Amino acid sequence: MPDGSGRTVRKPTFNTLEREKAFRHPPKDGSTYNTLNEFVAPHIESFNALFDDSGLPSGDGDGRGLINLALKDIGERVVFDGNGKGNSEHGVHGWGNRMRIWIDQVTIARPMVPEKDKTARERRVFPTEARERLTSYRGRMNIKLCWTDNSGQQQEMMKDCGLVPIMVRSVRCNLRSMSSADLVRHHEEPEEFGGYFIINGNERLIRYLILPRRNHVISLLRPSFANRGPSYTQYAVQIRCVRSDQTSVTNTLHYLQNGSAMLRFTWRKQEYVIPIMLILKALVGASDREIFEGIMMQDYENTFLSDRVELLLRSFKMYTMHTGDQCLEYLGDKFRVVLNLPEDWSNAAIGAWLIQKMVLVHIDSPREKFRMLLFVLRKLYATVSGACCADNPDSPQHQEVLLPGSLYAMIIKERMEEILNAIRSTIMTDVRNGVTVDFNDKRYFNKALSKVNFDIGAKLSNFLATGNLVSPTGLDLQQASGFTIIAEKLNWQRYISHFRCIHRGAFFAELKTTTVRKLLPEAWGFLCPVHTPDGSPCGLLNHLSRTCRLVTSPLAVAHVPALLAAHGMTQAFAPSIDGRKNVCVQLDGRVIGWARPEIAAQLSNNLRVWKTESKMDVPLDLEIGLVPESHGGQYPGLFLFSTKARMMRPVKYLANGKNDQVGSFEQVYMDIACTPEEIESGVSTHVEHNPTNFLSILANLTPFSDFNQSPRNIYQCQMGKQTMGTPSTALQHRTDNKLYRLQTGQSPVVRPALHNTYAMDAYPNGTNAIVAVISYTGYDMEDAMILNKSAHERGFAYGTVYKSQIVDLKDMHGSSKSSSTPSLHFGLGKDIPLSGERAHACLEYLDHDGLPYVGARLVAGDYVAAYIDDTTGRTKFVKYKGEELAYVDQVRLLGSDAGDSELQKIHITLRITRAPVIGDKFSSRHGQKGVCSQKWPAVDMPFTESGMQPDIIINPHAFPSRMTIGMLVESMAGKAGAMHGLAQDATPFKFTEQDTAINYFGDQLLAAGYNYHGNEPMYSGITGQEFAADIYIGVVYYQRLRHMVLDKFQVRTTGPVDPVTRQPVKGRKRAGGIRFGEMERDALIAHGTSFLLQDRLMNCSDYSTAWVCRTCGSLISLGYEDISLGEMVVGNSGSLKSTGPGGEYCRVCRAAAEQRDELERQALATGQDLQRPQADVRVAISLQNVLNRNSSKGGDLDIVAVPYVFRYLCAELASMGIAVSLEIR
Amino acid sequence: MSQQPQGSSATGQPNGAGAPGYSTQPRMEMEYLCADCGAKNEIRPRDPIRCRECGHRIFYKKRTKRMVQFEAR
Repeated sequence: MPDGSGRTVRKPTFNTLEREKAFRHPPKDGSTYNTLNEFVAPHIESFNALFDDSGLPSGDGDGRGLINLALKDIGERVVFDGNGKGNSEHGVHGWGNRMRIWIDQVTIARPMVPEKDKTARERRVFPTEARERLTSYRGRMNIKLCWTDNSGQQQEMMKDCGLVPIMVRSVRCNLRSMSSADLVRHHEEPEEFGGYFIINGNERLIRYLILPRRNHVISLLRPSFANRGPSYTQYAVQIRCVRSDQTSVTNTLHYLQNGSAMLRFTWRKQEYVIPIMLILKALVGASDREIFEGIMMQDYENTFLSDRVELLLRSFKMYTMHTGDQCLEYLGDKFRVVLNLPEDWSNAAIGAWLIQKMVLVHIDSPREKFRMLLFVLRKLYATVSGACCADNPDSPQHQEVLLPGSLYAMIIKERMEEILNAIRSTIMTDVRNGVTVDFNDKRYFNKALSKVNFDIGAKLSNFLATGNLVSPTGLDLQQASGFTIIAEKLNWQRYISHFRCIHRGAFFAELKTTTVRKLLPEAWGFLCPVHTPDGSPCGLLNHLSRTCRLVTSPLAVAHVPALLAAHGMTQAFAPSIDGRKNVCVQLDGRVIGWARPEIAAQLSNNLRVWKTESKMDVPLDLEIGLVPESHGGQYPGLFLFSTKARMMRPVKYLANGKNDQVGSFEQVYMDIACTPEEIESGVSTHVEHNPTNFLSILANLTPFSDFNQSPRNIYQCQMGKQTMGTPSTALQHRTDNKLYRLQTGQSPVVRPALHNTYAMDAYPNGTNAIVAVISYTGYDMEDAMILNKSAHERGFAYGTVYKSQIVDLKDMHGSSKSSSTPSLHFGLGKDIPLSGERAHACLEYLDHDGLPYVGARLVAGDYVAAYIDDTTGRTKFVKYKGEELAYVDQVRLLGSDAGDSELQKIHITLRITRAPVIGDKFSSRHGQKGVCSQKWPAVDMPFTESGMQPDIIINPHAFPSRMTIGMLVESMAGKAGAMHGLAQDATPFKFTEQDTAINYFGDQLLAAGYNYHGNEPMYSGITGQEFAADIYIGVVYYQRLRHMVLDKFQVRTTGPVDPVTRQPVKGRKRAGGIRFGEMERDALIAHGTSFLLQDRLMNCSDYSTAWVCRTCGSLISLGYEDISLGEMVVGNSGSLKSTGPGGEYCRVCRAAAEQRDELERQALATGQDLQRPQADVRVAISLQNVLNRNSSKGGDLDIVAVPYVFRYLCAELASMGIAVSLEIR
Repeated sequence: MSQQPQGSSATGQPNGAGAPGYSTQPRMEMEYLCADCGAKNEIRPRDPIRCRECGHRIFYKKRTKRMVQFEAR
């Protein structure tokens, strides 16, 4: 713009300069993209919750972290030095001195350089070091172990619990709250958001898992429940109760045919059932009348209920227990053996402990437990009577999420519990074995401790590295493996998807039924309907919607019951509440009162206004689940939830226009309009902030996805994650096994608004290509596409693969097992001539330090490292094993933790160039994948009137059946955007029937001088003639997928064979063949192509020739005679078995002949008649099954062509005593 | 730092003895770059992997000074 006066400067839409500036000078006070830190918040905050200094609000608690809460719940273990025999020297009970053992304090430190290392200036360890040195990012864990001696004096001791893996960017991470600039200085991405652990150099994360909603009673109807035992029925109600330390116990109440109920729980993977009456009585010592009134709630006309309650009470009479204490004692007596509690506890104490630890554990007070249990029972009877329906456990309404930090805390708690149990059992074993046990003697205690494994860190590392949960209790989870996944940095889209993925549970993957996989309307806005893989994990592995949050901080709701009581709720302890007219009000699975349905609705409205306007200290994340009364619907009530791990999402509350957070439980009974236009007055209470909020991040990134057929959007979510893109901007500091990189990624011209929000431009994923939709050469049939050769030569879609090769001398043959002085060293020994004519060939690749030159070019079998073996004094080599040509990109010398040992391990990054070749896979962003079939010379490409040539030609047949109109729109929008220099907004749901995308972009194209519809006249590149039709040509963003022929091709004529069968081996890696299976065989038979069949199955497989005996038909009886000695003749008869020209003969027939001769000789001698021995069993095969019937030649042995496996089969059968006989004619 | 010369002399190869046929190789020190501070470090064989400047435990090998030329086809 030379004059620059007349035109206004348009605001740039690509933000190229801004982005470059942010990239060159990352912000020093925060991050470039804040959203990225928000969407991993559940990972990080749930991990932070472990610690007291988490920085999370304390809610109703005292701000203690999960570990300290767990310590409180673990309590203490008690051990005695007596053996319980009633001799007087050990006190009254004979148990002797009482020692209490408990853990008082736990500390987990940040990752630090070990104390041994004196020289390190930076004492902190940063994640990049763990990644580059292929170690784990861990901090030291210490516990303060306390115990009492004989005098009751408290003793304490610090114990080291090993190194615990620390989540990156958590409160224990050294990168915590670093700005982008600081992160870059520490070799991280500027957008590093953490949320994962680093185990052996791999980034691993604990993935979200769907669990039943905590502290909420759901009714179940499962026919399998009836199989649990006699008189069990299909009815049950279940509640998953969660303690404040996030450990849970599931209580199930089964309905029995006689009207009573059994409470089921699990203790150390063992199931126990207790009659509900026993527990009701044991809790508060309730009288029969109290229980009757509590369940009936004045509904005396309901004979269904009264009959059952009566039966319940009557059936308990057989136990002859009347008071609560009797019940407790009974329970304690039965469970004493199982629970391993202190021996001096009374039965009643054990019973009370059992109820406290196993029944409705989310509530502390027995009275409240009693009230809740009555509610559970009422719900059970309602379910049985059909007054309410069974709840769907697969619906997100009754689900929450297992947070990574909560699982981590559970494992730590369990390990600490196991430590205490192990100490106790060690000491008890000593007492039993008569070892002198003296609680005053610290030396004895230390000796006992030395037998106990304190290494919690190793256990956690193992859990993270394998995803396997090794647990004696099972942690109330349904699976024991598959908890962790690797966060693959294949490209940015895949990487961020890992942190939003949520799994239904490994248990459901095996289920034959598909009900769990169904997309339910309840999931709207919480789980993305588009972003799920197709195939076996479909519907089980979901991704959270973009705006879906997981609540991670505890809320302050202690005042809510009083607040509700002040506004018309009847208190829970009020006598004589009418159960017909009132519904229950619950807060986190605790009965806080009763209210009439109208009042409950009013309360719910009040609460919503208060929470959105932050009045009355009602927290915004409080979930207000008002279930209205219905006929046979969900059990009514007002259910409030304030706990962690719930899914919530923001919507706009219409009543006051404020932001509201909506949970998955309450959403079912709400009317949320998708767009402001859809609001129905009097019906809608809420409206979405954005109609695209229900989509996941990746689904949001598909341009114009509302124009596409829905499966295509699902495919794009898959393919976006398999694209060769930009995995990382800190490539120099990454040690991943395999990284794919697109050399010249571009910012797409057509992109949704969220493209910028999620830093997609910092990690480009594809290239804007000129795409013509035309059937041109025939090379674009069946989803193939033609690449312009000149575009290819200019670097279109050029890619690189980075592979790692690790050379660890510790694992090499000949390394000394003692770590102090290694016997292998990198370097070239004296046996390698360095110069002159006899210089060793390795010097082409290796430096004097035995490491490869950076920049060296390697082909298969080249040297990549040399090391000297001290014991033999010789130099050994490590070779490059890959098949492809590679360049040494980086060589890392890895030291030890403390930096005090010599070089034993190196990491080599190899760079493999991958220019696009025929057979590589490409895709647009609309699930339109195709394979490059030709690189067509530019001169022969069709061209437009302005002389443009397409980069890519695709076939028009790709569209009619797939209906990816979004791609057609993108093509137009891209063309117009490129001409006008605009980044086109491709956010879905922006256009309407009145204001169509075609018109909008058509007008833009017209303004740029193009055809309104995006078609252009084109000319054949070969004849120069204009095509009869105008060709649809535009700009489409193309992704190069990581599936490349160079990794896939498999071809062989000859090659390795299986040693047993002599058939070709399988597997691409071993240069094996591709199986020509039964169905392929059927096809050849059907075609009658017998020569081809013979060639495939015989000649190209295990063709072999074998000697077969014409007489006995045996394949396995070949013997050789040394014919240099002349032909051997045995006996005199004509039936004598002669040898063949090579001296071969049938050993079976010869032996038979010899035996016959012998018998004849004997018969001759004794004058008896000859008796021919008969074979045991003979199976005759009909003539038509005998191959090659009508040739009859002389000679005894013949050569036949048989598959080698057949000979093997004959040998195997012979070993079982079955002779195979071939009939040779 | 103080124990380093001792350590190296203990494990060092005896110079000039044995190995008939070839001239013994001098213990060449190589220059590496520290992964943390970027300082150049001269490390002899069997020295501990530790930056002299900052004590960091990773080194990068420098790019070769030799001409790297491949057929560009």
